[in-house]
Amino acid sequence: MSDFSVVGKPIPMIDAAAKTTGAGKYTDDLSLPGLLIGKILHSPHPHARIRHIDISRALELDGVVAVVTGADAPNPYGILPVGHDEHALALDKVRYVGDNLACVAAEDSRAAERALELIDVDYDILPAYFDPEESMKAERDLIHENKPHNLEKDYHHVFGNPAQGFAQADCTVEGRFIANEVTHAAMEPHSTLATFDLDPVTGNIGRLTVWSSTQVPYYLQHKLSLVLDLPMSQIRVIKPLVGGGFGGKSEVIPLEIIAAIAARKARRPVKITYTREEVCWAHRGRPRTIIDLKTGATSDGRLTAVEARVIQDGGAYCSYGVVTILYSGALLGALYDIANLQYDGYRVLTNKPACGAMRGHGTVNVRFAFESQLDEIAAKLNLDPAEIRRQNLLRPPAITVNGLRVQSYGLPECIEKVVERSGWAERKGRLGKGRGLGLACSHYVSGAANSIIRSDMPHSTVNIKIDRDGGVVVYTGASEIGQGSDTMTSQIAAEVLGCLLSRVKVVAADTDLTPIDIGSYSSRVTFMAGNATLRAAQEVKRQIASAAAQKMGCAPEELIFRDDLVFRRDAQRGVPRLEGEPSGENPSRQRSRGRTHEQANTSQASVAGRVEGQILRGSLQQKRKEDLTPKDFMTFEEAVVAAIDFHGALTGTGSYAPPAAARGGKYKGAGVGPSPAYSYSAQVAEVSVDEETGQVTVHKVWAAHDCGRALNPVAVEGQVIGSVWMGMGQALTEEMIWKDGLLMNPGLLEYRSPSAAESPQVEAIIVESVDPEGPFGAKECSEGALAATIPAISNAIYDAVGIRLHEAPFSPERVLAALRAKKAAKPLNLTEGVDPTRPTRFREHGGALCFKQKGPERHELDASRAR
Amino acid sequence: MTVKPFQLLCPRELSDALATLEKHSGNIRVLAGGTDLLPSMRQRLFEPEYVLDIRQLREIQGIRLTEQGIEIGAFTTLHAIENSDELKRSYPLLVEAAKTVASPVIRNMATIGGNVCLDTRCLWYNQSLSWRKSCGFCIKKDGNICHVAPGGTKCWAAFSADTPPALLCLQAEIEIRNASSSRRVTLEKFYTGEGDNYRRLQPDELVTHIFLPRGSALYGGAYRKLRIRGSIDYPLAAVAVALKRKNGDFEDLRIAITAVNPAPLLVAGVQSLVNRAMTRERMAEEIAELAARTAKPLTTSALTPEYRREIIRVFTKRAVLEAAAD
Ligand SMILES: Cc1cc2nc3c(=O)[nH]c(=O)nc-3n(C[C@H](O)[C@H](O)[C@H](O)COP(=O)(O)OP(=O)(O)OC[C@H]3O[C@@H](n4cnc5c(N)ncnc54)[C@H](O)[C@@H]3O)c2cc1C
Repeated sequence: MSDFSVVGKPIPMIDAAAKTTGAGKYTDDLSLPGLLIGKILHSPHPHARIRHIDISRALELDGVVAVVTGADAPNPYGILPVGHDEHALALDKVRYVGDNLACVAAEDSRAAERALELIDVDYDILPAYFDPEESMKAERDLIHENKPHNLEKDYHHVFGNPAQGFAQADCTVEGRFIANEVTHAAMEPHSTLATFDLDPVTGNIGRLTVWSSTQVPYYLQHKLSLVLDLPMSQIRVIKPLVGGGFGGKSEVIPLEIIAAIAARKARRPVKITYTREEVCWAHRGRPRTIIDLKTGATSDGRLTAVEARVIQDGGAYCSYGVVTILYSGALLGALYDIANLQYDGYRVLTNKPACGAMRGHGTVNVRFAFESQLDEIAAKLNLDPAEIRRQNLLRPPAITVNGLRVQSYGLPECIEKVVERSGWAERKGRLGKGRGLGLACSHYVSGAANSIIRSDMPHSTVNIKIDRDGGVVVYTGASEIGQGSDTMTSQIAAEVLGCLLSRVKVVAADTDLTPIDIGSYSSRVTFMAGNATLRAAQEVKRQIASAAAQKMGCAPEELIFRDDLVFRRDAQRGVPRLEGEPSGENPSRQRSRGRTHEQANTSQASVAGRVEGQILRGSLQQKRKEDLTPKDFMTFEEAVVAAIDFHGALTGTGSYAPPAAARGGKYKGAGVGPSPAYSYSAQVAEVSVDEETGQVTVHKVWAAHDCGRALNPVAVEGQVIGSVWMGMGQALTEEMIWKDGLLMNPGLLEYRSPSAAESPQVEAIIVESVDPEGPFGAKECSEGALAATIPAISNAIYDAVGIRLHEAPFSPERVLAALRAKKAAKPLNLTEGVDPTRPTRFREHGGALCFKQKGPERHELDASRAR
Repeated sequence: MTVKPFQLLCPRELSDALATLEKHSGNIRVLAGGTDLLPSMRQRLFEPEYVLDIRQLREIQGIRLTEQGIEIGAFTTLHAIENSDELKRSYPLLVEAAKTVASPVIRNMATIGGNVCLDTRCLWYNQSLSWRKSCGFCIKKDGNICHVAPGGTKCWAAFSADTPPALLCLQAEIEIRNASSSRRVTLEKFYTGEGDNYRRLQPDELVTHIFLPRGSALYGGAYRKLRIRGSIDYPLAAVAVALKRKNGDFEDLRIAITAVNPAPLLVAGVQSLVNRAMTRERMAEEIAELAARTAKPLTTSALTPEYRREIIRVFTKRAVLEAAAD
């Protein structure tokens, strides 16, 4: 049935008013009596052993209540069970400039900051590793003793017969691609407030409550329990409003643990809010990546084999790294039909802030390389870029060579739509000097089929409770981080129950109140929490139906729930006109379209007898006494009252676990990549290039995205536009700049996310493939589109000026360097020796950290000294 | 990081302000719009005990027409400058440059005095205290090395304000006062060319006015600014061109560059290339070459020095041709 009343309608976010008026509370807005401010001491060295930390002088300072160091919480943790290599405060070693050493909890920030100056740390400085390929050669002074050659993890996968595939190819293209490092730049810096209950009699420390800007409250509860040696039941994690995450809050960030340790020691509530610089050090962004890619194709454009060797500069800790490097390989599959695939992935440790999950996790940089190379092949074979992509479509339902199950597959339609809307056939290659069009595709998981904590527990569980006045409360662990999960949850509940959206209240992400949900990452929430909501709502609906059916003298199956009414299927035409409604033969049909909430609310009140709450209940009770004959319809509230009278409490629960068939193959590393459903994207970018300055302007992007069913089209469009915009940032302007382990641009002035002035027009085109397993057929829409933007722009630059960039971002100096090389103009060293069309290594910022005896203390074997 | 506690002084009279400056000389900073000073104080680049807030000093606010030209109070916002009809009519180059500063919100606060006095910038300097600790500090603040030119002893932080190149082309003068005297210097003389001690201003002195001579009115011109984003960003290289024509010929052409040296600089020798027997295009190229040679960018920003110098060349040529086409 495609005729929904709530789902599929453009609905404003239910929490939008609080955010736009400033009334909404984020973690940093919260306070408690006796609150202390925590400030963290960070390492100035990229790699050093800690000989001694002396906090005595800091403790003497007025206003300082507690100082904590690694010794206060020695248990290691990490987001992945295989990667418990972090201590929120360093125990024996610091591993990057910015690593956490100690935290002062004081009466105000100034006292805390002054105290930091009084902490004395004695180091043994070690040589540091900054370039992943150099780091892999390390024999001594390893970053983690148990990781030889500073190799976090490597995987070597062969599917099909790549050698044979390449032998069959008429055309093989090979090249190295480099994508530089980017970070999330979420608007809200991380913030955590932690407090312990004190036993009023003994004064002993009791339960811990933590408010935190997190995408993953349950993982946070779990890791806090590990580090603090507290049972999870003694920890309550609450997620207030979160101002964006993009993956940067999808694991436990040091401040979350540090605030808790500090609160325990100070025996008072402690709040820590990161500065922007600290956000950059906490990082967990997209690692800079080297991709050596080789693709073979027949003369008609059929891909015969793909071989990828990927090196990720993971920074100093594992974080999500093992998953990232697996995604990079796994999602070579499931977009196109590729029979032979070889993947060698290396996740390398370096003395830089840890990389982690970032929008499009693991797939984005490889997709940039792949879609660029596909265009290179198309050019060689004289094929249209759209045509070569059409040549390689999957034929679902299908299982890819690497074990990914694909069911719904809107890619062909996405390609058709953007080709048509952009005028591709007529305009490509004909836009005149310096202007061009580029096409690229991408895809992403709708949640991982295997959770990072190996267990059989459902990935999402949702409880629903309905009150006597028809108020529906949905309890979900899913974390609203701005993406709209609360709105999605409400919509699904309202749709299933046939009630008004305004009846639904969402209680989310509070571990004391809400059942477990593993969090907002890997675009899993709509698919998984959405399915759990659907099931919970269906369970409650069954209870309402059985009671209502008795009142209405029919079988429960004959009832329809819709538009805040419960009516008999056969009585549809006879439903009486409601007060305030225009007359019409079929109210349910009429009311389903375009009615505002206010209108709905008024008529709801007049049905039931005026207003909400007690009065309403009274009037309902009266009505019941008067009217005992079976009816054709009941209002939603009447049905709810009947059900509560009949069953006692009215509650339901639903959960979701991905089906076994979607969980992928059996080989080592097969757990990452499988998803119950994949989203698909195709994009065309129109750019112009200033050939004298190398500046690229993106004029328009046509972005078609297959999200299954669009539960809320405006939300989908918003996510697609946001993805394109963020992808454009990585394509053109965003880049973390490094010099000997120092992040040269740890702020939003020098780390340049595009501003409104650069925003191109984005035409978001929704393609609805309707997935057989998604809630109402929905899939993901928040990540998949990003990866296509970068190669679409790169391919458009090629169309515009004939240069093929192998290094992102396509900053003006790189573009100009490539243009000058093409014209054989007088060489200028615009890119410090790294040719952006054939890059070999990562570029370091110029100048010198150390010179002769000047500069910071560094080990004599350190790269900064060697130069 | 929090700002180190200081005492804020808000005099209403210029004379009081100057007396205050004299009294606390060396331990006081002037606060105009604060758009540069306050972020710097949070980074602990300045830790003065006193801050002199000059926003109540009527005498140094506003744009006034005089016999000799135009007088702009140092505490006049860039917003007021970009919206001044008089300036739009007579000194469009200044308006064009002012419009490119930062973003509209910042220009509501930012003043022209602050823009002229703006501290020089460098990736190794405009960082938090803890960041600077990790790089061992630098010559400009607390250290003994210049990370962008490590062999030398000079600071190469780049002067990165937008209005000074326009003001240089327009032959602006500034009035500087202390409690006992007042002096007037050409803007050109105000800058030293050193990244650390970048301006000739004594600790007890205040910039009070900026004068645009009548002779510079009605110059045509163009300002070209390299920035990565269309808003917010400081210039990474920029050029101002002012041109006066007579019967189709170039009577006077002046060019100044910013963000590529420790001072904004007038490009010397331009006039000698003007009106020689060559095409406009060729002339513009030669002038551009001169400008590029004047630029000495180093790795003070994320873009490479070579690129910034090249942009000075490209933008100079474009700006000259554009000014010529008007
Ligand atoms: C995000 C951002 C982007 C920016 N982008 C640009 C840009 O694109 N272009 C640009 O030019 N600037 C830019 N700026 C810098 C700044 O906003 C402007 O230069 C502005 O004009 C400075 O004026 P102000 O009144 O705010 O100066 P303040 O910050 O108050 O002062 C700046 C300096 O000048 C001194 N000073 C101020 N007035 C006087 C006076 N009358 N006499 C003596 N000394 C004085 C102060 O003591 C201080 O050292 C940017 C700033 C930010 C935060």
